[in-house]
Amino acid sequence: MIKRTYDWIDERLNITPLWRDIADHEVPAHVNPATKMSAFVYCFGGLTFLIIVTQILSGMFLSMYYVPDINNAYYSVQYITNQVLLGNVVRGMHFWGASLTIIMVFLHMLRVFFTGAYKAPRELNWVVGVLLFFIVLAFGFTGYLLPWDQKAYWATSVGAQIAEQVPILGPYIRLLLVGGSTVGALTLTRFFAIHVFFLPAALLVLLGAHFLMIRKAGIAGPM
Amino acid sequence: MSSSEDPREKLSDAPRHRRTYRELHDGREPFFPNFLLKEWIIGAMFIVGFLIWVLLNKVGLGSIANPNDSSYIPVPDWYFLFLYQALKYYPGNGEVFGAFLVPVIVTLLLIFLPWIDWSKNRRPFKRPLATASMVLVIIMMSWLTAEAWAQHQAEVGGSAAGGSSSSTSGLPFAVQHPTSTALMATSMPGYQLFENTCAGCHGQNLEGSVGPELRGIGNVASSSQLLPVITKGFPPNMPPGGGLTNKSQLQQIADWLSQQKQK
Ligand code: HEC
Ligand code: HEM
Repeated sequence: MIKRTYDWIDERLNITPLWRDIADHEVPAHVNPATKMSAFVYCFGGLTFLIIVTQILSGMFLSMYYVPDINNAYYSVQYITNQVLLGNVVRGMHFWGASLTIIMVFLHMLRVFFTGAYKAPRELNWVVGVLLFFIVLAFGFTGYLLPWDQKAYWATSVGAQIAEQVPILGPYIRLLLVGGSTVGALTLTRFFAIHVFFLPAALLVLLGAHFLMIRKAGIAGPM
Repeated sequence: MSSSEDPREKLSDAPRHRRTYRELHDGREPFFPNFLLKEWIIGAMFIVGFLIWVLLNKVGLGSIANPNDSSYIPVPDWYFLFLYQALKYYPGNGEVFGAFLVPVIVTLLLIFLPWIDWSKNRRPFKRPLATASMVLVIIMMSWLTAEAWAQHQAEVGGSAAGGSSSSTSGLPFAVQHPTSTALMATSMPGYQLFENTCAGCHGQNLEGSVGPELRGIGNVASSSQLLPVITKGFPPNMPPGGGLTNKSQLQQIADWLSQQKQK
């Protein structure tokens, strides 16, 4: 039944080549932990992707209850933590997952650095990688404000103060971040929008480019 | 690889569950399902470990944000600590240098790394400058992070021991800092009493100074909830009754405060 359905679709859309291309490309021995245990460092990129997928999923569930305005944000997070079924687990996944993402991205970057995998012909993918790194940091910065507790509020205030130090553009950057004279209602809504719309969009585009380039250039050979 | 062996050449008539080609010669194997299933073992262990960690480490929530409480000691999430700490070492105008120039230079170095470390050598020991710089950066970042954390702990511990910090975390009624500021029900007798007795600490317009802001307190507290709190006060920060002892006057103040429902 499944096979017949597949064939029916395949006859019309010819989808087999699409995934065969991905499925059949060979994974060389030097990156395969089954061949050589030390090759697990080559899994860091994949594990980063895995944890990013769980971040997206837990974030989607959190956004069912989270309310991005200064009167309700704190209480909605409190509600998620104390009332919602498994809410504390989902929040825990998203909270700890944020740190784990940073750790994994960093380890992945170190792997690429120390194996010299950023050299020709993979320079562009390194650049995309650095951008991804900054996107992940921006996720952390904007997400930190959302629970609207003291820690969130004051960390963001300090962050905005630091941004203001930039010569000439400083005050504008600060205004762009904060949306007003002090961290407040406007800051929360814009951080929320950045965290759940702008950054995910950028992340997915860059990840697509990242994976496409890995596929095109192949994984770097043994050293 | 001869063209007949190229996997992409065979695509259109390829059987769907074909086994490997050349597999045993050089250890290569197809990405799917062979490799992905093995990698999934690592992925599954990773996820299980992560979930155990999540279940064992509950996430807390501090007290609600209070923009007036500038005594709160801010701390960024741990992965920004090294930056935060680094800034402490640039006094005065140096902050421009620390907050701007250094990060920009480091970012540019990182982005343009492939063109800076341009030789074909990939082994870490064959490009000592790049390797040494990165090792140095990692050591610096770890040290700055540890230092920032130690200093933060000392600061927090210090102020808690000092005891008199006006940390508002223990307040019975956390007001939510309404955006409208106009006083309400100013014809009630409690209004004048408040202005005379309490405004010195809580502000003429409830905006707060020594004591916390009270705007919108009527949204979270009723008169009967307020009365005992005011009567008891918060010695030594706020004297019992704010200095008043007359029961009916306190009742009038509580009645008036409970009408302050600024949104
Ligand atoms: C000497 C200054 C001072 C005076 C006078 C004073 N207060 Fe206070 N009040 C404070 C401080 C400080 C706090 C916070 C207590 C703490 O953090 O331990 C406070 C807290 C409160 C709270 C709790 C606020 C909350 O959000 O839970 C209420 C209600 C209050 N005061 C009402 C009054 C009233 C009514 C009067 C006048 C009768 C008054 N206060 C007079 C200093 C003062
Ligand atoms: C957002 C997070 C990221 C994800 C999900 C991700 C994912 C991946 C994956 C799955 C691979 C395949 C090889 C491996 O797993 O090691 C890879 C390779 C690569 N990544 Fe990333 N990556 C991310 C961030 C970065 C960063 C921050 C950099 C560097 C600054 C980077 C640079 C590279 C390069 C150059 C390769 C090719 C390596 C080679 O050919 O050996 N990536 N990435």
